[in-house]
Amino acid sequence: MSLGRGEELFADIDLRREKLHNRAFHAILVAASLFGLVMLVLLILDVLWESYQGLTVFQIDLVQFLTQPSSSRAERAGFGASILASIWLMVLTAILAFFLAVGCALYLVEYAPRNRMTRLIEANLANLAGVPSIVYGLLVLALIVNDAGLGSVILAGAIALALLIVPIIIVASIEAIRAVPSGVRDGSYAMGATKWQTIRRVVLPQAMPGILTGTILALARAIGETAPLIMVGTMLHATRYPDGPFASFSAMPTQIYNWTYQADRMFNGLAALGIVVLLIFLVVLYVIAGYLRKQYEAEGTLTNV
Amino acid sequence: MAQSHDPEIRRITRRTAMTTIASIGAVSIAGCMGGGDEGGVSGTIEASGSNTVAPITQVAAEDFEAEYADVQVNVEPEGTGAGFQEFCQANSAFQSASREITDEEIDICGDHDVEYTHYTVGQDTLAVGVHEDNDWCEQITLDELNEIWEFESDVEQWSDVRDEWPDEDIALHARDSASGTFDYFTEHINGEMGNIRDDYSATSQTDEIWDAVEDNEYAMGWGGVGHLRSLQDQDGTLKTVEVESELDGEFYPPEEEYIEGGEYSPLARPLFFYFNHAELEENTDLIASFARFYINNQHEFATEVDFYRATDQDIVDNHDQLDSVLEDIGADPDDITVERQDP
Repeated sequence: MSLGRGEELFADIDLRREKLHNRAFHAILVAASLFGLVMLVLLILDVLWESYQGLTVFQIDLVQFLTQPSSSRAERAGFGASILASIWLMVLTAILAFFLAVGCALYLVEYAPRNRMTRLIEANLANLAGVPSIVYGLLVLALIVNDAGLGSVILAGAIALALLIVPIIIVASIEAIRAVPSGVRDGSYAMGATKWQTIRRVVLPQAMPGILTGTILALARAIGETAPLIMVGTMLHATRYPDGPFASFSAMPTQIYNWTYQADRMFNGLAALGIVVLLIFLVVLYVIAGYLRKQYEAEGTLTNV
Repeated sequence: MAQSHDPEIRRITRRTAMTTIASIGAVSIAGCMGGGDEGGVSGTIEASGSNTVAPITQVAAEDFEAEYADVQVNVEPEGTGAGFQEFCQANSAFQSASREITDEEIDICGDHDVEYTHYTVGQDTLAVGVHEDNDWCEQITLDELNEIWEFESDVEQWSDVRDEWPDEDIALHARDSASGTFDYFTEHINGEMGNIRDDYSATSQTDEIWDAVEDNEYAMGWGGVGHLRSLQDQDGTLKTVEVESELDGEFYPPEEEYIEGGEYSPLARPLFFYFNHAELEENTDLIASFARFYINNQHEFATEVDFYRATDQDIVDNHDQLDSVLEDIGADPDDITVERQDP
């Protein structure tokens, strides 16, 4: 190949244009990544603006807002009963979902034979995590609320939310348990430990931060869920503090939803403040999850082998 | 003044831990904010039904609970249709409804042996709204409304309705088919339930309709007037259109005197509650007391949450009906803790 033909080969390449393309592509990618962030900032600004209006125009009293139950009279309405209902929901959901999910994950990783059945279960778990949340709500409405006659109570809501997050926790737990190196297990067996002793004393302690992180992130999803709770049935206004798992309720997201469509505009301010409270709950959960993950990375050097 | 006696309780269920009414004294229920007398009414009432009517029932529930400490009323609105599904399977004792029960729902109630009566508690009003800068559409006839909204309507521009109106596209906003409001409008304006054009902007939230109309000089929407008024109070740029009356052919705005006077028709619609007679038999004093309390104060409850009152005659009719139901199940209307108050 002669030199002349080589020059000819590159002659049709416009270097400036290529560099321009390069920069344009870069800019598009940056814009794409910023889009989500910008939307989030806009959303938060909007909520804060509405909250500010609620506090100034409608003179919402923050103490009353945080301590009083809701009411159909906006001037008397508060968020306290909904906050408590959400805490009840989270505790019950965590209890229901955690043991089921961790048990399932332990079985799949430690006990289940590597066959088609196991693969089928694992594939289905991934699919379950993608089922729209309202479907779980409908299931609980039909089976638990109506057929079993439990009624529209906190426990029914917690069952719906637990069904929703069990697959998420299972997937997170499987990963955490798989990350425990088999050398550690073998070491335990070599010392004469039984399988259960190995799981309890060696595998679970190692995997627990990962499992807990997954559980907390799943709970953060559950606390913001509205659709399944609406299906289960919630009060228009949470006018009473729930006194147990069998109380009628309206959790934070459903109370916010109900406030947004009331004719009295003051409810819009209340809803915005409610969103702020809900966001604070979410941030706290994420911080806890992040802290656990950090601990996990600092202590869990073994798992990085 | 009411003499309080033991109510007739046929059975005790898990919902009811009816205590005996010990106090034979004066029970003052004057107005909606009477003193918290220790009346003997107790128990839990499940109230399902309409999102629209729920705020009225909720106000009634809160005041009733304030009056009788041992009572809980759970207002859990899921919409009129979904509520009737609950009600007709005897899952709820009370049902708020923004329309009357349909034949299909009557069949379901029949299958589950649910007997009921319905009571008119107030009026909702659908307003036809346009932007404030719209200076042409002041009045509209029922035929024109039908022409604009009917199924496969040819109206694209304002000038398609009246020649002198501008050659601009109409932006149409209204409720979606899940609502009793939609059922009502389409039945009374378009002649048949659901007989509406399919290219308008349908939403499940009345606020969104008016927000959209506020932003567009050439928009038209219909929806609950309560939401429109509260937007107007906030310097909204909305105004209502006077609608032809089916009574006298004149045009009336959706304002209190014409709504309660009956001239603003057909776009004012009655709102109801229903209750289950089996529940009344089971918890006679509880259900009848709440129903009476609701009826006694229904004008205040309805207006407090931006609806309009039904007529005084409706209150009398409601009371008469309740009393006759009580007599049918063998209860004495005078034994109910809450006393009947006619206007």
